[in-house]
Amino acid sequence: MRMDNGRIILHIDMNSYFASVEQQANPFLRGKPIGITGKNQERSVVATASIEAKKLGVKTAMSTWEAKKICPSIILWPGDPEKYADIMHRFNAIYRSFTEHVEEFSVDESFLDLTEEAQDYLGATCMAQAIRERVSEACGPHITASIGIAPNRLMAKLASESVKPNGLTVVRPHEVLNLLDQSDLEDLCGIGHGIREHLSQLGIESFQQLREFPLERLMEEFHGYGLWLHEAAWGREVVQEPSHTSEPAKSYGHSYTLPFNTNDPVVLKRYLLGLADKVAWRLRRDGVAARRISAHVRFADFSGHGEQRTSIEPITDGLRLFKIAWQILAPFLQHAPVRLVGLTASLISSDPKRTSLFKKEQHMQSVLSSLDLLQHRYGSGIWKRASTLPVEFKSRSSGFRFDHEL
Amino acid sequence: MHELLNDPIDVIVSFKDNRVLPHAMRWNERDYKIDNVNLVHSAREGTKRVFYFSVSDAANYFKLKLDPELLEWRLVELYADG
Ligand SMILES: [Mg+2]
Repeated sequence: MRMDNGRIILHIDMNSYFASVEQQANPFLRGKPIGITGKNQERSVVATASIEAKKLGVKTAMSTWEAKKICPSIILWPGDPEKYADIMHRFNAIYRSFTEHVEEFSVDESFLDLTEEAQDYLGATCMAQAIRERVSEACGPHITASIGIAPNRLMAKLASESVKPNGLTVVRPHEVLNLLDQSDLEDLCGIGHGIREHLSQLGIESFQQLREFPLERLMEEFHGYGLWLHEAAWGREVVQEPSHTSEPAKSYGHSYTLPFNTNDPVVLKRYLLGLADKVAWRLRRDGVAARRISAHVRFADFSGHGEQRTSIEPITDGLRLFKIAWQILAPFLQHAPVRLVGLTASLISSDPKRTSLFKKEQHMQSVLSSLDLLQHRYGSGIWKRASTLPVEFKSRSSGFRFDHEL
Repeated sequence: MHELLNDPIDVIVSFKDNRVLPHAMRWNERDYKIDNVNLVHSAREGTKRVFYFSVSDAANYFKLKLDPELLEWRLVELYADG
């Protein structure tokens, strides 16, 4: 567990990212409600709605027919992942030119720890403006971002989401409670619909009420997550993977529904590696190792394939998980475009040799270094580009409910 | 109207500061002046890198593809307003 002592965190989030890139490329889409979809628009979802479409009620991950019903004038546009990846590469390089402490949170969202570089909130604000200018120069003026600056990631994200599009919201430590009291519970990354309902049953409808609710009772209701909620209500971030139960998990798994159906091995490798890293991180966080790996895919035609392998040696390494999973899946990928990939690690044993990376707060480092390793192994080319990009995981709590912890 | 194509085209370009800038193109025996280059990005195609230029005139959006190995331009996407 880590508390934020005088840190300055910047959260930057591209506004309607895929849609904005298309509006940058094609001036005839500007100012119009557009929805970015998969190749097969009939049974696709809106991966990103333009700012104009959002104003008319279209939401991310809405089915295309629902979007059309709500907004008949919507222009459905097939997504171009290569283009989004190229642009993403540009803004991530800009972030890294400001600080080495960049955490890529999702495809179009990053956290920058500016504590050292900015020194104070004025400095951070100036940096935010400089970042925004450079992004605009490198990507085009129609690709905009919302920025929040606050003492931790949780509050920075809440701040950036409070003004969209193109907002810059600075929340200093003494303003944090104010921001919370102006926000709904569900605005906070980490309070999803289920938790919101649970809180409501306890009579908690606001952050103020959550703050005043006895911690012991929260812990009874939410176990370890109770502390996280309590601290969040005070504007503090307990750095801990949200988990509903304190019992040791018997298996660790993730599945991911792709934003676009594909059987491009490069794309699938990238997602699978992302899943493997997530699972590996959870194993290391809990100080355990796994000996059985199962991987599965679901195809666009709703068929699927899955198998498992058992290893003699306990595994905690994302790259090894990935390689085993890829061996399982690779022969079956030509069957049909894939719409979901999943990976589960089981036969769990404790792994006392390893120090918990969670305690050392270096989980991101490990994810990045294994990505780097893979990059070296596969050499340059598209894989290198792809593996340095953040895998497009939207957090379950960000509203893009494609990622499922198993 | 949104169309995906793969038509060879002739393009007039300038080179400046390590950048290629398309100015006009000839497609289907018609000349189009390019008013704006809105976005340039690259992508891998097998082992090579190709460049895409998202450009427009007053009525059309064009996506042009440059293969720098073959020095070949193609019109790959067309969108006409309305
Ligand atoms: Mg965004």
